[in-house]
Amino acid sequence: MIAKTFLKETKQLLRDGRVRIAMIMVFSLLGIAVWISTRQYQNVNEQYAMAKTAERAIWDSQGEKNPHSAAHYGTYAFKPKYPLSLIDQGVDKYAGTSIFLEAHNRNEAQFSAAADQTGLARFGDLTPDFILLFIIPLLIILLGYNSFTKEREMGTLTLLKSQGISSFKWIWGKWLALITPIFSITFVLFLIAGLVLSNLKDFGVFNWNTIIVMFLVYIVFYAVFINIVLVISARAKKSGISLVLGLGVWIVACLLAPKMATNIAQVKHPYPTAQEFAEAVQEDKDKGLDGHNPWNEEAQELERAVLAEYGVDSLSQLPFNFDGYIMQKGEEHQAEVYFKHYNYLKKQYGKQTQVYQTLAVLSPFLPTRFLSMSLANTDYGTHWHFNDAAEKYRIATQKFLNDHFAESTEYGDWGWKADASYWKELPQFDYDPPTLASTLSQNTSNVALLGGWFVLSFGLLFLTVKIK
Amino acid sequence: MLKYNFKYELKQLLRSRWIQLLSALLLSLFGFATYNGLEKVDERNKAIATAQGNVLKNDERMMKLLDSLDRGLEVSIPSWRYPTNPMEIGNNYPRVAAMPTEPFAFVATGQSDMFTHYKKPEVYGFSFIEDFTEMTSPVQLLFGSFDLAFVIVYLLPLLIIAFSYNVLSAERESGSLRLLGAQPIRIETWVLQKLGLRLLWLSLLVIATLLLVLLVLGINPFNNLNTLLGLISLVLVYELFWFALAFLINLWVGQSAKNAMALLGLWIVFVLLVPSVINQMGSTLYATPSRVLMINEMRDTQADVLKNVDEILNNFLRDHPEYAVNDTTLQRNYWHNFMVAQKVIREELQPVLDNHDQQLKKQQDWVAQFKWISPAVITQEALNQMAGTSSRDYENFRQQVLDFSEEWRNHFMPMVYNNADFTMEDLENLPQFEYMPLKGTPISAPLTVLGFSLFVYLLGVFVYGRKSKDSILTTV
Repeated sequence: MIAKTFLKETKQLLRDGRVRIAMIMVFSLLGIAVWISTRQYQNVNEQYAMAKTAERAIWDSQGEKNPHSAAHYGTYAFKPKYPLSLIDQGVDKYAGTSIFLEAHNRNEAQFSAAADQTGLARFGDLTPDFILLFIIPLLIILLGYNSFTKEREMGTLTLLKSQGISSFKWIWGKWLALITPIFSITFVLFLIAGLVLSNLKDFGVFNWNTIIVMFLVYIVFYAVFINIVLVISARAKKSGISLVLGLGVWIVACLLAPKMATNIAQVKHPYPTAQEFAEAVQEDKDKGLDGHNPWNEEAQELERAVLAEYGVDSLSQLPFNFDGYIMQKGEEHQAEVYFKHYNYLKKQYGKQTQVYQTLAVLSPFLPTRFLSMSLANTDYGTHWHFNDAAEKYRIATQKFLNDHFAESTEYGDWGWKADASYWKELPQFDYDPPTLASTLSQNTSNVALLGGWFVLSFGLLFLTVKIK
Repeated sequence: MLKYNFKYELKQLLRSRWIQLLSALLLSLFGFATYNGLEKVDERNKAIATAQGNVLKNDERMMKLLDSLDRGLEVSIPSWRYPTNPMEIGNNYPRVAAMPTEPFAFVATGQSDMFTHYKKPEVYGFSFIEDFTEMTSPVQLLFGSFDLAFVIVYLLPLLIIAFSYNVLSAERESGSLRLLGAQPIRIETWVLQKLGLRLLWLSLLVIATLLLVLLVLGINPFNNLNTLLGLISLVLVYELFWFALAFLINLWVGQSAKNAMALLGLWIVFVLLVPSVINQMGSTLYATPSRVLMINEMRDTQADVLKNVDEILNNFLRDHPEYAVNDTTLQRNYWHNFMVAQKVIREELQPVLDNHDQQLKKQQDWVAQFKWISPAVITQEALNQMAGTSSRDYENFRQQVLDFSEEWRNHFMPMVYNNADFTMEDLENLPQFEYMPLKGTPISAPLTVLGFSLFVYLLGVFVYGRKSKDSILTTV
């Protein structure tokens, strides 16, 4: 009976003009979206490669210079784009792409794409994730809103009862008929994306496992939506009402809940403004060691301690240049200050995340959105990960420069210049995004939320839908 | 007939609890959205006020230091941080260049969550490409804010669709249309009256709830009567547009479910697809030059200039004798080199930055050219402008801050080159920033939407004229 119900439903869907038009529209939108995203991806990656090489060349060819001048001159870390951003652009458009790495300061990533576009950018983009997250759930509503109501409206319910079909089989037949077209569209999309990506030249970080997990996430999301639509269709008295209710769920889940969460999170756990943040950092920096200010209290203390440790009575007797040494110590203090303040931001964001997860009770969209971005490495977590890696590199670079200064010169010798060839010895900045395993382990709560929706919605479906 | 229709509709709307439901929905949506908007405005005002307070505090400290130094007392800071050094003032005592909120800023978040509202331009710095973005979680930017503009542009049409998708088809499906067919009224006139009455009720509810919410939340909207009238007329014509669409679809399509789907499809096209397609085409056709490549260029220029800074300084001083060190010691220090190097780098980079701004301008022109395709885009932009949070406003602010930065730097140039000390009298002469907001909201937005609605209405009349009259009464 499952098979028969399935075949009948599928035939009915195929013969329905609306469904055909909707499917054609979804496919063409997807086609356009994939095409646009592929172009963008290639474009950004070319620029990234160019910028990275050029910046390194500028660093290498600084010529003779005092290492601390080089530290102020600084260098840039550029954020690469990852293959699965082809499917889900996530927050990439809103996150900065380049970080200036210099002495004394940890800088924010600058220049997000959205800031360099018109206000329309805020409406969203025609990208595969838009289709996957917004349009396909709508398609599910369109395909399934009258699954059960039509039996009553057309009078076929009486016929069905006489067939002796069990509710269980009836539901499964309908369910399979709905998931099949959705599964096919999604499968084709992911297959095309996978093939495109594995044929691009630089698909180093791309792996099929991630794309398969991502595919599964979406299928679970769609299963949840199908369950909701079927429950509504079974409970509603008329097709029209079922459609309106289904759309209501869609509006709440995909439009209202995310925005509500955003406002609540902002009010309850706000970020400081960029200027406030900078001021707070400056205040903490001033409290500690300043490598440029020998009159600073902490500096004097350090001086006494170092003199005592080496058993000498003036700085020029030390086996290294105290200027370089104290600058490195100052750098370490500043790095700690930044660490503290960025941790505060992270904590605020952690609390904001909890707001999003609380509202996931209203919306299976939210955990899906977060999981999908994470898997594509286009989420905020990856952005943090990149920022932290860049900061680590910045600290290492400062040590590399200050140590060279401390070891190669004598106290007070500010005019000294390092060899022009020295800069090449600085290791390159290489960044590896989080692996699939670590992404999943960071997202256990999202997996649990989506899983919860999956189980509960199935339970609801089988408990509430009865042939009667 | 209009009188009967009016009575019947009102009764029906009240008995089906539509009006009650709609009032509750509008009240909660407008209430929550306005509350959010006010919360944001408050946050912004507070941040600016704190920043300005800090400047005053710092100035007091500076005055004390100057006074002590003047009287030859000992102070607890190293000599190179003495406020007598003009560079110390230029770098560590910046002024606040702020963009205060406009009276209706709560209406639309617009770009306000993305861009900063105050800057403190300093003299020192090697970042020649100023970043004006705010420190916001990108997740928040991605999801956007639940503001009045969102309720008006996104949700109101959905309410209208739910309110009007079946005015004709429901009568047909329940069989009452045949009775109506016996009445002396044309079907399209009757549909028009029915929709018109619903528009009237909805508009009254919208205006009433909006005013109520504003008054309850402590805003007197009548203080800015022009903006309020602009807002209301914009909302009304936007409603009119969606009712006109409902009119067209009711006459054109037929079954309730199909109507709902067609209207929803149009909602997706106008609210979600058209804006993103216009934006994506604009940013592809007139792509802003890559920021990362721009950084490369800046770095190249910087490297060149710094390598030849002595020579450049000599040339500069030859061309600008007014800056030649005028005191008898003829001492040059770091700041002399720095100031001139910075000036040269900025001048050389200007074409690159201008190019970027021009591309952005072209994108905006492109959007302006095509935004009339979607009334949703027009309405959103107009609301942003009303709130003073549109891209144009932030562009305006950015330009003013850049000009102010230059003024700030130039103010210290002669002092540095004359090795002059900063004194208490100089404090009054420091440049101050005052934001000049863009003037007025254009009335073209409501007019365009009105034109659009008329077009859709005429299309409805035309479609109905072409239809065989038998099919209206029976099933389609």
